[in-house]
Amino acid sequence: MKPNDPDIRWVKEPPMGPTGKTYLSLFLGGFTTTLKHLVSKKKTIPFPDRHYECPDPLIYRGVHRLNRDDQGRVKCVACFLCSTACPAYCIDIVAAESPWPDREKYPESFTIDELRCIYCGMCEEACPVDAIELTSLFDLSGKSREEMIFDKEKLLAVYDMTKDAEPRRTAGRPPTPPRDTGGPS
Amino acid sequence: MLFFFETLIKIALLIAGLMTAAAYLVLVERWMAAWIQDRVGPNRVGVPLTKIRLFGLGQPAADGGKFFFKEEFTPGHVDRALYFLGPMIMLTAALAVFAVIPFGSVLPTRFGVEGLSEPIRLVVAPGMAAGLVYVFAVNGLAVYGALLSGWASNNKYSLLGGLRSAAQLVSYELPLGLGILGVVLVAGSLDLETIISHQAQSGAWNFMLQPLGFVIFFVAGFAESGRLPFDLAESEQELVGGYHTEYSGVKLLMIMVSEYLHMFTASFLIVILFFGGWHFWGLTGSSDVVTWPVALLRVVVLLGKVLLTILFFMVARWSWPRFRFDQLMGLAWKVMLPLGLLNLVVLAVWMEYGRAVAEATGLSYLAATAAVGWGTLAVAWLAVVWFAPSASDNRPQRSPVVQEVCR
Amino acid sequence: MDPTRIMLLAALMNGAGLWLLLPQTGSFPFRRPLNRTLGTLLGSAGLGLMASQLPGLGEWFSGSVFWGSVFWILAGVTVVAAAAAVVSRDPVYSALWFGLMLLGTAGLFLFSGAAFLAVATVTVYAGAILVTFLFVLMLAQPEGRAGYDRTSTEALLSAVTGSMIVALLSIVLGRVLGLPEAIAISSAATGGTGPTPDVARLGTVLFSRYLIAVEVAGVLLLTALVGAAAILARRNKCPCEDQTTANQMDSPTEGAA
Repeated sequence: MKPNDPDIRWVKEPPMGPTGKTYLSLFLGGFTTTLKHLVSKKKTIPFPDRHYECPDPLIYRGVHRLNRDDQGRVKCVACFLCSTACPAYCIDIVAAESPWPDREKYPESFTIDELRCIYCGMCEEACPVDAIELTSLFDLSGKSREEMIFDKEKLLAVYDMTKDAEPRRTAGRPPTPPRDTGGPS
Repeated sequence: MLFFFETLIKIALLIAGLMTAAAYLVLVERWMAAWIQDRVGPNRVGVPLTKIRLFGLGQPAADGGKFFFKEEFTPGHVDRALYFLGPMIMLTAALAVFAVIPFGSVLPTRFGVEGLSEPIRLVVAPGMAAGLVYVFAVNGLAVYGALLSGWASNNKYSLLGGLRSAAQLVSYELPLGLGILGVVLVAGSLDLETIISHQAQSGAWNFMLQPLGFVIFFVAGFAESGRLPFDLAESEQELVGGYHTEYSGVKLLMIMVSEYLHMFTASFLIVILFFGGWHFWGLTGSSDVVTWPVALLRVVVLLGKVLLTILFFMVARWSWPRFRFDQLMGLAWKVMLPLGLLNLVVLAVWMEYGRAVAEATGLSYLAATAAVGWGTLAVAWLAVVWFAPSASDNRPQRSPVVQEVCR
Repeated sequence: MDPTRIMLLAALMNGAGLWLLLPQTGSFPFRRPLNRTLGTLLGSAGLGLMASQLPGLGEWFSGSVFWGSVFWILAGVTVVAAAAAVVSRDPVYSALWFGLMLLGTAGLFLFSGAAFLAVATVTVYAGAILVTFLFVLMLAQPEGRAGYDRTSTEALLSAVTGSMIVALLSIVLGRVLGLPEAIAISSAATGGTGPTPDVARLGTVLFSRYLIAVEVAGVLLLTALVGAAAILARRNKCPCEDQTTANQMDSPTEGAA
């Protein structure tokens, strides 16, 4: 781009007023802001002693869980929509014929690599039966990579752990109407 | 020979005190930084292997230990001799300044030992007639540390940092000196102890009598200590780390400590030259003959004032944005230098004719001096407003204006 | 032997040593390590010989071994640093050796009781002038060093001149210092019997007895300053005009607008 390009918008610094020229207003302004923050209430949460409480756990995207239905069975129907939607390819499902009459398939194994996951929530969006959900658990840690690959039992255990604090997201809500993505159909 | 032991004890006390103070003030600085950013700061490290936290008072020891156990890596492309010499010069110079800076007044006793100086003065080299010039000389040597470590690192960021640091320190030594000259003129001595006792005897601290000199010295002192808003030598956004980019381990620690000591020096000088040193009205008295409580009180008052100044340094760090380099130089040469000369001339004239003027107007001499001082400050400030020499827009301009900017 | 003759012999050794030490092109006259060793040996021998012929030096300190050794250490550091500043190949190292020499000189001043002169030397020379030198050197050679920077031109002439100056000054000093009056004066200045030199007295003397000299020096410095500013101002103008004409030639449309 040349300096005489007509598209350049040349901006001039606004001239300083008389108070600005004394530097006093700027000096005092900066100083009062700092002092105000110096004495203001601190926002830090001393983490292991106190935990962050999510104002709305339903919209937080933390560790996944696999929901159970009323009879305590895994809700998932092994349709692979979540693993297809996953941008990080971290969901691995092995489907098998369902032992129950109300569905054709169920996941024989269902693993999520929590280290690979980017916590975007696409799996949750994609799931047609609301089987996979993201909880508000954020302090996830482990001692090895293998430990961080969550299998079906672990994911169901997460559900058991969080079901009281975080009821199923779509339980009390009307189903959302299908969105028009605007793309070619 | 006893004289030697006295000096050695003082040096040991001073170095131990300075190093401890540096370590703990780093903690205080981290607290201040955290509080200003609405955080709580380091509060975990206490007694090791227990759950006692002590508000994080163990943090300095942990920090220091970390520095010692880190790998001390020497890059292959450096000039080895100068690379090692740089931090050493910096730390030596930063510590050597404290030889003439008093950290108290006098002690009332000789502890029953014959042959000690009487009374024992709380300064390593008492009665050094050229004390302030010595401070300047050693400060001048400190420039070498930054310059050499920057050059020896053989890295463009380091070199730029070293050059910036040298240019800044050399430029701001002039206003610093002009700010001091007023005080020296009034006290009639270059000895810091004499300057303090002069203020104590008159009861008026120098910042009340020569506010313009104070402002100049204060700003220049900030610049000399290389703290924000004058930390162009190591501005992280532009130069990675400035002249200490290539340093690690203990050598980095030495550089960091000497930067902290520069801040101490600036604070001590500000307090001693302009805020009366150990003097406080009605508490410390002003004579050279003291009792134990008064002697201790003087130390506490001096160190308290210094601590307050250091706290101001820490708050200032988060209050104002960094200068641009041309603004920095403009401030030194176009604002501070003329104002310093003005201050000096006004003070010299006042020293000659002040008493006569004060008698003619019926004011007391001190009141008249203060009035002249504040008047000078007001005039100088208004002159800066009128000419606004350091307010300039250096962004690219449309080409007809290029000519103007260049001129 | 006659002291003057010993002095001249010492000067000869000094000169030869300096000539060997000075960086010259190629391997002249011998190979480089040999040059260095020989030069160092000859130079130090010459200096020692010279020092042995200066009778007044040892008697300044009323025989105290401690103060005597302090003096000799300071003097040795100063002389060695001065020689190293001259013979060093790298300009930056030269400047640093010069700085060390200044520190040694300041130490000698301090030792003689001239505290103000000592700190003023460090402030002015090391703190301001030498930093400016270093600044320019560091900017000037980011990569490699030019051949003419690494060798000395006229090594022989410089060695002869330097050693002759040192020899003459030493002979004169040796004669003057050997006189009893000189010893009396110097011990009075440092021994505490006379009035100690202080800053106020120095100022009074400078601004009364030597007022004209001080003022002349001040005017000279001011003139130099104004001259430098004038040169800088004129040089700054030229490229700017060039730039604008170049701009106009570059973009004829802008000239029309």
